Amino acid sequence: MLDSLIQGLLLGGYYAMLAAGLSLMFGVAKFINLAHGDLAILGAYLVLFGVDQLGFSPWLAVLLSLPVMALLGWLLQKFLFTRTQAAGFLLPLLVTFGLGAVLQNGLFGVFGSDTRSLANYIGDLSWDSWQITDELSVGKLPVTTFAIAILVLSGLQLMLSFTRLGRAIRATASDPEAAELNGINSHAVHRSVAAIAMVLTALAGSLLAMRAQITPYDGPMQLIFAFEAVVIGGIGSLWGTLVGGIVLGISQSLGATLISSQWFQLTGHLVFLAVLSVRFYGTIAHQRGGWWMLIKQLAGPMTGWLSQGSIKAKATKTRIKNG
Amino acid sequence: MSDNKLINQSISRRHFIKGASTIAGGSIVSLGLMGTQSIFANPDNIIRIGYVVPRSGPLGVFGQGDEFLLAQINKQFANGLNIEGKQYAVEILVGDTQSSSIRASQVAKDLINGNNVDLMLTSSTPETVNPVADACEAAGVPCLSTTAPWESFYFGRGAKPGEPSPFKWTYHFCFGVADFAKLYIDQWSKVETNKRVGVLLPNDADGNAIRGLLLPSLEKAGFTIVDAGPYENGTSDFSQQINLFKKEQCEIFNTFPFPPDFPVFWRQAAQKGYAQQVKIAQLAKAGLFPAELESLGRLGYGLHAGAYWHKDFPFFSKSTGMSCPEIAAGFESAAGKQWNQQVGANAALFDAAVESLIASRTPKDKVALAMAISQLKTETAVGIVDFTSGPVPNCATTGLVGVQWVKSKSGPWEFDLPIVSNADHPFVQLTGQMTPYKIGG
Repeated sequence: MLDSLIQGLLLGGYYAMLAAGLSLMFGVAKFINLAHGDLAILGAYLVLFGVDQLGFSPWLAVLLSLPVMALLGWLLQKFLFTRTQAAGFLLPLLVTFGLGAVLQNGLFGVFGSDTRSLANYIGDLSWDSWQITDELSVGKLPVTTFAIAILVLSGLQLMLSFTRLGRAIRATASDPEAAELNGINSHAVHRSVAAIAMVLTALAGSLLAMRAQITPYDGPMQLIFAFEAVVIGGIGSLWGTLVGGIVLGISQSLGATLISSQWFQLTGHLVFLAVLSVRFYGTIAHQRGGWWMLIKQLAGPMTGWLSQGSIKAKATKTRIKNG
Repeated sequence: MSDNKLINQSISRRHFIKGASTIAGGSIVSLGLMGTQSIFANPDNIIRIGYVVPRSGPLGVFGQGDEFLLAQINKQFANGLNIEGKQYAVEILVGDTQSSSIRASQVAKDLINGNNVDLMLTSSTPETVNPVADACEAAGVPCLSTTAPWESFYFGRGAKPGEPSPFKWTYHFCFGVADFAKLYIDQWSKVETNKRVGVLLPNDADGNAIRGLLLPSLEKAGFTIVDAGPYENGTSDFSQQINLFKKEQCEIFNTFPFPPDFPVFWRQAAQKGYAQQVKIAQLAKAGLFPAELESLGRLGYGLHAGAYWHKDFPFFSKSTGMSCPEIAAGFESAAGKQWNQQVGANAALFDAAVESLIASRTPKDKVALAMAISQLKTETAVGIVDFTSGPVPNCATTGLVGVQWVKSKSGPWEFDLPIVSNADHPFVQLTGQMTPYKIGG
């Protein structure tokens, strides 16, 4: 039990890292990037290229890959994302879906179908562990991953709270037009956010390549975990994303231990769905005057506490109130 | 030759678009005709072979050797194939499944209806083989396939045990679950253990087939099985399973995972001290390709596996005109990568195909060709393929050898793969002594 909690917590650090870029992009630029997982894999391949072909040490290659990915994020936002976003809600989904396919097949074309991993370049760190008690041990790599996630996310949160760019990002996130009126170039802010998001994503991809092995087609699976962590933790909040990742990791790990090993992913999905429905009904409940009122109204037709007419009247009233 | 056409003419825009649309839409590539100019003047003298394999996508690694193999076969049949005194040109049309079952079925139908193939070949995983075979069965085109456990080919497509075979046109040769039992019982006797086996089987078609069919025969052979229960592919934390194996002191570990899951499991097993206890770590499905082992680093040395082809097999491949060591060396110099099992398995598919074409006497007659395949008994790169004594009609079994991935002493590749068990494939000589698994080799 304690062991699964710890393993789940450490896994959650990776999920949070993976989800942070997605959360940031959605929170500030209101942009859903379906190529997120593939961009993480691209980041990992970039690091592999640096290690393999250019002979850098793995951590140096990770550091060097970050500015490259930041530039890529900046360019993507300037030339692709902004334009598609202007055309409505559906187009960004389609375009990033297509971008994902292009990335997958592009990576396949350049790097081939062999599965790759960074683990063999970081030596024994990939599987070494600290023995805490006889039963309990924690892997050095999961702990490192968790520490990196906490450091990066805290650093980013500090940046958002205390720097000029951070203020601009927060202002743009809450109201781009009002921010523009105050002299903030919201497009420039979006580009910076895309660059930061891509750095986070690439870092997550590199960490994935250290703990697992990757092929060019592994992106979509990562996207699902990232999405779940974002939704559980609340969109656009970095602390929320961290909590979301940890909740996802722990619920998967506990589900596998307490229920059955088949429930690993299912528990994660169920927690995600539960959070989603609480959020969804939460909005409705808010409109209808709180949870208690909502339950009463939903139970109404069955028990006859409230007549059909009064529900309709109430709904109409709410609609008038809101709009 | 027809494939010179593009070079001789300057490519007009219209030609280019036509060509590009063929590639994008059809994903079928003709490798040109083999045979002299005069033969293929008459279409009755051209044997068209469809070859449907994953060449891109997650299964693309299975197709790594195809370029080399097809070049070799092209060379071998440059003058065509002489059958009963008649000279035939051979045209191989390669279709890419893009690792998708739906696409596999579509490509097979295109080859049948659009290119009028006389024989279909397909290989690599049930996801590829089954849809292609189904398309051929429906259209009445002879089809020969390999590299998918024969149970998933036969029962997976709706045949019932004890009933006559529902298939007329489709034939398959590969190992089956019984081969694993025979292999493991022998291979696991090579190292002293407590005979307690921890098994990690996912909740997928292969995992459940192994759980139902292999585990009982291992228990009968005196092994204690500790099954950690089914899990979903893509699981990223295996602490529950590892703790169970540790508690039960399983010195033998066996798994049939979705390949990318294995390194995640094994690294965690090392983190939690289980890999340090294991004496035999037997992989199936994962660990087929050297790249997978290389990405494990030091944890990869000493892992045990089964192999359906090996460079030290003593068999001759007629379609490529090469012995097994020559195929491996040829692939290594052509691709710049270490040989893998699938190169030989795909060579064997062509060996069996060529032999069937010859045995049919009239290769353009589909009934005669299907008949010839059903009675085929011939040597291929993976060993003797014998459809007259298969476990069920339409299927022939080939053997598995036990191998161990050990750190190479001489190079040039990181791993050597000695054959350490041959109970399931007695024609093959052992080339090494099995050692217990130890981190770092």
